[in-house]
Amino acid sequence: MKVAYYKGCLASLSAKELDTSTQALAPKLGIELVGLKSVTCCGAGDIHEAEPDYYLHLNARILAYAEATGCDTLMTICNVCTLNLRQANHALQNDDALRVRVAENLERVGAPPYSGNVEVKHLLWLIAAGDGFEQLKQVAHKGLKGLKVAPFYGCQILRPSKLLGFEDPDRPSSLEAIIEACGGEAIDYPAKVKCCGFPIIQAREETALGELVQPIRQSIEAGADAMVTPCPLCHLSLDAWQAKLEAQTGESFKMPILHLSQLVGVAAGLEESELKFKRHVVPVDGVLEKVEAP
Amino acid sequence: MDVALKIWRYDPESGERVLRDYEVEAPEWACLLDVLDIIKDTRDGTLSYRKSCRMMICGSCGMRMDGRAVLACKERMKPIVDRGHVPVISAMGNMPVLKDLVVDMQPFWTKVRRMKPWVETGYEEIPEKEFLVSPEEMAPIQKEALCIMCGCCVSECNSMESDPEFFGPAALAKGFRFVGDPRDQETVERLESYNDEHGIWDCTRCYFCNERCPKGVDPRDAIAKLGAESIRVGIDRDMGAKHAKWFVHSAKTTGWLRETELVPKTQGVVSALKEVKFALNLFKHGKVPLVPHVADEVQEARALYEVVKSQGRDGAAGIVQAERALARLDHPVEARVEGEEGP
Repeated sequence: MKVAYYKGCLASLSAKELDTSTQALAPKLGIELVGLKSVTCCGAGDIHEAEPDYYLHLNARILAYAEATGCDTLMTICNVCTLNLRQANHALQNDDALRVRVAENLERVGAPPYSGNVEVKHLLWLIAAGDGFEQLKQVAHKGLKGLKVAPFYGCQILRPSKLLGFEDPDRPSSLEAIIEACGGEAIDYPAKVKCCGFPIIQAREETALGELVQPIRQSIEAGADAMVTPCPLCHLSLDAWQAKLEAQTGESFKMPILHLSQLVGVAAGLEESELKFKRHVVPVDGVLEKVEAP
Repeated sequence: MDVALKIWRYDPESGERVLRDYEVEAPEWACLLDVLDIIKDTRDGTLSYRKSCRMMICGSCGMRMDGRAVLACKERMKPIVDRGHVPVISAMGNMPVLKDLVVDMQPFWTKVRRMKPWVETGYEEIPEKEFLVSPEEMAPIQKEALCIMCGCCVSECNSMESDPEFFGPAALAKGFRFVGDPRDQETVERLESYNDEHGIWDCTRCYFCNERCPKGVDPRDAIAKLGAESIRVGIDRDMGAKHAKWFVHSAKTTGWLRETELVPKTQGVVSALKEVKFALNLFKHGKVPLVPHVADEVQEARALYEVVKSQGRDGAAGIVQAERALARLDHPVEARVEGEEGP
């Protein structure tokens, strides 16, 4: 299938490894990515909170450029982008007066208008269901050799479920299905659907770290070798802020954190130049040794 | 129908916490609250829970079913029985348990009271007749006015779990109900107060509150409206507000987030300097991009900002305008996966 590919900010900046691994993996899964050059940040929760009308227009502009490619799906690789775009899309698709006003504003600045014919889907959803899942089973030939992987969903791919709605927000199973299909063992733990604290990690570090510690501690207690997440913001807090958590608690975690595209990428035999594990703060060597072991 | 339940019982005198099994005969129309009444009447009179109106108005019967905060009077038992599931009932989270399913709501009420949950009319002498407001003027706070203060949103609030002093979703939604009230004369004072350390910007945007609210209040959206109103009137001293404003500035200038400057712009240069060691470690791993990523046609995003700002939908109005469409959403998750203990 052909999809318009929306990277979001982090995959263009601090999480480039998410972009390179996604671009390398997608064709193997039968997903053809159509790049979007003129789009901007979706605004995260921040523009939605600071300037909500501007948030709506920025997201409408992204949807408009996606529509202009002729694709009916806009694929995201970040939870926050997914919620932002789906929320804006829902409002535009279901309120004619609002859509007309926004489309007129887009035309005034030279952007294409948006007529409401794009659906926003996260990479996770394309892999976990239908053809994508069948392709995954073929592609993950290298396997994960029983690697114990703790899935961490993050918030904005599950809640609010009335806008996301792919699976049960309290007992999701898509990441588990993917881990198992890749030959890993999915580890269960209560905090897998909770918040990593990232949105407030700069403004309220202590509160955020109090949230972040739960999934890391619980996945270690449950015996995980690594964690996987579909969100680069969760990845950044789990990976980069782990050192701060260690300093704060006096505990040693050393928990490797993989992007979804990297985990599947390892099972599919992608190269280090595509996976770019060197960009992680917590080393991933232990995971690779286990998977490479004869 | 035969209904089976497990209930987490708690006896404050002995400190004993135990999961007990119950099985009772109940009519097919029974909700969870009816089943608890049958258990209390016929099996164990010591079972404690709160109830009053039985029709989703009073907000008394908040409790957890399989780890999800629900109103016991809203949850129909027949579909659960038909699936052969035995749900686990427990007290709400983030509040101390007094006995069985009864929590201490005192911290909750203290926070609600802190919001000054009444209209500050600005006059002391009682006028001769009432002031009229139109339905259109009250429409922006319609959702927040639906709150029955049951505490289901607070039960699963991730920020409050980490910072128990966080005002929380129910109190802040109540706050917006008065900030958005056209009769209230203390909007700015309220916003100043809600911008305190444990206020608006302490919300981690986990969206559990929107997910759990049995009345469709969407407290997280109300918190975003408070943030938007604060920035509209120029209350932006909090690091959370500065963080949010930097995203707007980034979108206007390069199109993409100017990630490397986000820390000094949020925390100030002095605080950011204390983070040098941490930042150097991130830099080593390519996590501190030195060159901002600039979008093609970024002038469109800049022009769009000017166009939008000229149309007068600043602040909460920008969120309220999208609610007409969002209100039409049905809950799309058809089948829930049953499990004993939730998050």
